[in-house]
Amino acid sequence: MSHTDHILVVDDDRDIRQMVGDYLRKNGLRVTQAADGREMKAALETSDVDLIVLDVMMPGEDGLSLCRNLRAGKHRNVPVVMLTARDDETDRIIGLEMGADDYVVKPFSSRELLARINAVIRRARMLPPNLQVSEAARLIAFGQWRLDTTSRHLLDEEGTAYPLSGAEFRLLRVFVDHPQRVLSRDQLLNLTQGRDAEVFDRSIDLLVSRLRQRLGDAAREQAYIKTVRSEGYVFCQPVTLIGDAA
Amino acid sequence: MNALAPARRAWLPRTLGTRLVLILAAGLLLAHALSFALLFYERAMATRGMMLAGMEQDVPVSVALLEHLPPAERMAWLPRLERRTYRYLLRPALPGTPLSSERARQVTELIGRSLQEHYALRARTVSTMPERYEVELTLADGQPLTIEVTPSLLPVARWLPWVLAAQVVLLLACAWLAVRLATRPLAQLAAAADKLDPARAGSPMPEDGPLEVTKAAHALNALQSRVAAHVSERMQILAAISHDLQTPITRMRLRLEAMDDSPAQARLLDDVTQLGQLVREGIDYARSANVAKGPAVRLNLGAFLDSVVGDYQDIGKPVQRGASERVALQTHPQVLRRIVQNLIDNALAHAGSAETALRVTPAGTVCIDVLDRGPGIPADSLEAVLQPFHRLEASRGRASGGTGLGLAIAQQLTQALGGRLRLANREGGGLRATIELDAAQPGAADAG
Repeated sequence: MSHTDHILVVDDDRDIRQMVGDYLRKNGLRVTQAADGREMKAALETSDVDLIVLDVMMPGEDGLSLCRNLRAGKHRNVPVVMLTARDDETDRIIGLEMGADDYVVKPFSSRELLARINAVIRRARMLPPNLQVSEAARLIAFGQWRLDTTSRHLLDEEGTAYPLSGAEFRLLRVFVDHPQRVLSRDQLLNLTQGRDAEVFDRSIDLLVSRLRQRLGDAAREQAYIKTVRSEGYVFCQPVTLIGDAA
Repeated sequence: MNALAPARRAWLPRTLGTRLVLILAAGLLLAHALSFALLFYERAMATRGMMLAGMEQDVPVSVALLEHLPPAERMAWLPRLERRTYRYLLRPALPGTPLSSERARQVTELIGRSLQEHYALRARTVSTMPERYEVELTLADGQPLTIEVTPSLLPVARWLPWVLAAQVVLLLACAWLAVRLATRPLAQLAAAADKLDPARAGSPMPEDGPLEVTKAAHALNALQSRVAAHVSERMQILAAISHDLQTPITRMRLRLEAMDDSPAQARLLDDVTQLGQLVREGIDYARSANVAKGPAVRLNLGAFLDSVVGDYQDIGKPVQRGASERVALQTHPQVLRRIVQNLIDNALAHAGSAETALRVTPAGTVCIDVLDRGPGIPADSLEAVLQPFHRLEASRGRASGGTGLGLAIAQQLTQALGGRLRLANREGGGLRATIELDAAQPGAADAG
């Protein structure tokens, strides 16, 4: 493949911007730097960008609101990795609500950032473009459950929350984003590899059975996730999107 | 401390209220008894005066009448001459004893004077309790006549003791009310001071009631807000410093990574990693005092623990899921997740593995246990390790990677959820960290 991924690094700190840029370039990526939101918008206008690395804490318009505006504009499909100042669930949730695809906590290592960038780009490539709409929905309803995509838990009919582990959430998310479609184990593995991809050693079958348990889906009935012999799995419930991201 | 030390005067009741009530009650009873006694004394004087005045006019007439009646008719007249405190008898006085009281002598003298000393009187006391004495004289025809005197007070109305008792009860009730009015704000103040949480503004004491109480409540509220402002200022400074350190640390890290591999670079990277962790936990600790809780939801705790443990297992950490009950309660999952993660991280750092359990006490308290088989914590340090930056020198070093903030953060966050964090050493070694949460609503424990 001759295509070189083009990364736009947006950070007000010149040193960080440059060092991140140097490292990414050394690893075969094309990098453009921007010091603030204005420069970011200019860069987006002039060239095709495959992914944006966006600092949350910036003078002027901060990363969160830039991200939200990005999602509302014509560049809504460009993936975003946030550089957040602190490892806080609330920040993560706000960041994801604003439409970021992943985040890295400062101080981060360049290797970690590169791994995230690659994972997000791979995930974005995997998703058929027409199925990316559910990014914007906060609640996804199917069967007797609703999935809260920002808090990452299932809600039963009474509104009791059943939290999911990171891997379970990512797997379920892939399923509800692609209902009635047979997904191969390879596809599922690629799409559900998360933050700690290197050490993720669970087989997809084990993860699927764990998720079935969560959903109260007996292996014999398979009301939610059906096994398709020698092909993979299919999510067989109709899916409804409720509400938009705040 | 002093207030709680054993009282030097052990006989004194412990509470201010009881003491005040006792003092007031004693005073009231004494005053009441005194006025009662005065009343009786005055009454006795008045009745005696009346008796004497009556006798002075009555005795000469009666004696003259009996003198003039034929001896046979005298007996029939006696009942008519009888008065409340004395009567006439046609016999000599009983032997008795000589007059014993001053009053009896006065009465005898009065009788003698009223009869213009015509008769020789012989007076004897026949009984002292109740007092009764007889004055004997001899009529002209030799018939002995005795005046039997039984001095007595006018009988007291039957309702009077009841009225007095009612009065005492009423006064005691008033005293009790007044004491309560005075001491209850004190108890409220003490309770409010007890609940005072330096990290939170909390609910202020109501500033109403009597002027003194209002003033005290106002002072306490002012104190509370000053303490809260002070604490939050320090927390903000800590957060600001930690936050501003993040950018330079990030730069250092990136720069180091760009350098050629060398032992020095590896060591510096380790240092920067530690620095970064300390800064991160410093921010966490500063924020844990006033944490943004996120929305509260009804949370299935079993599924919650499964998800936390699942995340650890997915990255290959030896964290197990132990016994569990079906419990759901209203809480903030983000904060609770943070607490459990901190406890598991602590167990992993010191014991290498961790286990979680979920149980409900008979009293309805939900307990999330994080258990390990590590070295545990000496009993006298169980409280201290919840303090920020506290470390057990023996078991914890920089090697185990702790910053000394993980448990302090967990403790702060647990308090923010209205729960309690308890540490205990397990039988057979290891530590049990328990998050205790009260099921907010009844029936919260039955869902699953």
